[in-house]
Amino acid sequence: MKQLGLILFSMLLITLSSCKDKTTETPVSDYTLTFKATYNGQPLEKYKYYDYSDYKVRFSRFNTYISDVILLKGTEEVKLSDVEWVDFTPDDATNNLALEVPLQFQATEGTYTGIKIGFGVRPDLNAKRPSDFPANHPLAKETEYWLGWKSYIFSKVEGQGDSNADGNDDIFLLYHCGSDAVYRSYTFNQPIVVAPGSGNSVEMDLKKLFTINNQWYDLRIPTNQYTSNNPADVTVATVLMDNLVNAVSVK
Amino acid sequence: MRIYLWQWLVVSGIFGTVLFMVACGNNGSPTPGPVSACDLTDIPYNPQPYTIVKPAHFPEIFIPADNPMTVEGVQLGRRLFYDPILSGDSTQSCSSCHLPHGSFTDNKDVSVGIDGIAGRRSAMSLLNVAYVRNSATSDGLFWDGRSKSLEAQALKPVEDPIEMHNTWPNALAKIRESEDYKTRFRKAFGITACEDISQELAAKAIAQFERILISSGNSKFDQYLAGDNFALDDEELDGKLMFFDEGLSNGLQLPDAECFHCHGGLTLTGNQFFNNGIDSAGLLTDFKDLGRGEVTLNEWDNGKFRAPTLRNIAMSAPYMHDGRFVSLDEVLGHYIAGGKPRPNKDPFIHPLGFPMQQGTQTVYTGFTPYHKQALLKFLHALTDSTFVNNPDIQNPF
Ligand code: HEC
Ligand code: HEC
Repeated sequence: MKQLGLILFSMLLITLSSCKDKTTETPVSDYTLTFKATYNGQPLEKYKYYDYSDYKVRFSRFNTYISDVILLKGTEEVKLSDVEWVDFTPDDATNNLALEVPLQFQATEGTYTGIKIGFGVRPDLNAKRPSDFPANHPLAKETEYWLGWKSYIFSKVEGQGDSNADGNDDIFLLYHCGSDAVYRSYTFNQPIVVAPGSGNSVEMDLKKLFTINNQWYDLRIPTNQYTSNNPADVTVATVLMDNLVNAVSVK
Repeated sequence: MRIYLWQWLVVSGIFGTVLFMVACGNNGSPTPGPVSACDLTDIPYNPQPYTIVKPAHFPEIFIPADNPMTVEGVQLGRRLFYDPILSGDSTQSCSSCHLPHGSFTDNKDVSVGIDGIAGRRSAMSLLNVAYVRNSATSDGLFWDGRSKSLEAQALKPVEDPIEMHNTWPNALAKIRESEDYKTRFRKAFGITACEDISQELAAKAIAQFERILISSGNSKFDQYLAGDNFALDDEELDGKLMFFDEGLSNGLQLPDAECFHCHGGLTLTGNQFFNNGIDSAGLLTDFKDLGRGEVTLNEWDNGKFRAPTLRNIAMSAPYMHDGRFVSLDEVLGHYIAGGKPRPNKDPFIHPLGFPMQQGTQTVYTGFTPYHKQALLKFLHALTDSTFVNNPDIQNPF
């Protein structure tokens, strides 16, 4: 009899707890991260000359891989995405304004304490090649892979500049960053709200990217103009990927 | 058992009536509903899936869900590709401008249609065309990328007044008269009547054939990629290192040639649009052929063209969208000099060499005749004669 009571009691507990689960289950909402390219806080415009130190620069291509987008709640991590390709300057754009790239995710509603974003392709995925992926996968892009490093090109920033205002571009800015050594994951500690229709924007500012320790990165110096022509030398790529933490803001 | 005459008469009478009715049915008179002038249902429809042969190191090929590859589809497409039946005066086929020995170009500066009128652009190589914008969504075919898929593209030349100058209804009428094509359309697509032969199905078949135009993997470059370290000699290897900006050769620094940024990936076409500086243009509206700008209507895209594949490039002279360069030597001369000034020039088009600072300016020095020779030899190492001689892609007639 005593045993029967125990069994009944535990059954009651189980029923109650499953009821509780159902009633308090938090709903899941869409959450949109919109990537934006800016120069000095303004939407980036392709080909437009910007004042830079005492000369002029302009940009024609900007894209980047994003890995492991993770929402943080204390020590808890909620992963939103493995890998994405964000292209601000696609070929089919009908004007020169950098495209805003919205990435749609789903997450449990609530307020999170921060968001973590990997810039580049996470090492285990970077060990693969475009031919390992189905045609529509972001990592299937042959043009975003460089055999020299056996790595994806994590980010491309291309442009040119006129060092002496003679109307002729003599500076060619060719920054292609890649290889595991320059993969960077940055955490932005700030309240992130997931609710119906919620989202944040991730601004990537090129002026800030080239402002290093509060100094203009000297784009007139040839070795500063391109990432390198030696796969083993990732000096410039390291400078830029390190400085992304200052160039990116989540709003 | 004995059969009496009256029994025989009754049986054969019934049989005869049935036969008569069936025959009448075939003639179409008493049966209601729409009637086909030609019924194809007697021809078996049993399509066999076609697996595209590609080098192991090549990426997956995107096949649209509504046009699966079949043996019968590819065979039909091959015939349509080589058959002048599609052109207005039955003199020109796709293969008139896309010939196997020119790596599916016509080796002319610009193509000439059936009326002898010259177009404004050079025929493009169809090698690895299945990889052009290898996805469901993006556009990319033609020098300016105006066509979204091989299926959509194949509809165009037939009605283009300076190409095959025909109408589809006219071309279809001729196809429907051919017993061979009727059978082949039935076998490839399971249509039940001649009227079902449509331009869309013709285009699908041609697209299936075009998707098998894939590298053999036997070029020296492919053998090198597949692991044969000796497939490229020292010069070709230096050319390859420069082409891919890989810099160091036996401790010696080579200048970047920057080519792979635009002609990238295994198929050596980035499928992107650039201005590679072959024309000088003071204003964006100065380009004779606006190229990509005609599609996006963004004048900053004027004078941009798709960077085409460089595989088999030694076979597809002359070069560029208007065939202006007759040799690869001329092409390299252009890139080494750094192209002509125009507002939307691509930053990768700069004089080749090592960048040095001269005053506040950057200049490029140290690109030698050896470097040019090495690049040229590498471009020749992309030649894939197995592909152009592949019996499966030759003229079937
Ligand atoms: C009169 C010559 C001519 C004929 C005939 C012709 N083409 Fe072309 N083809 C061209 C030219 C020229 C281009 C480039 C046109 C442009 O970019 O505006 C081209 C481009 C193409 C392309 C785009 C390739 C790429 O990489 O983007 C495909 C595919 C193609 N042709 C297939 C065909 C097919 C299929 C047929 C027959 C139905 C055909 N062509 C008939 C001359 C021709
Ligand atoms: C900035 C991008 C870019 C770079 C860098 C570049 N190309 Fe090109 N290339 C193009 C474009 C775009 C075209 C087509 C242009 C046209 O037809 O007007 C082209 C055309 C060609 C052609 C003619 C193809 C054909 O079928 O007619 C050859 C050959 C070629 N490039 C070789 C090279 C080599 C070798 C290099 C390196 C030295 C190189 N390219 C660097 C963009 C580039």
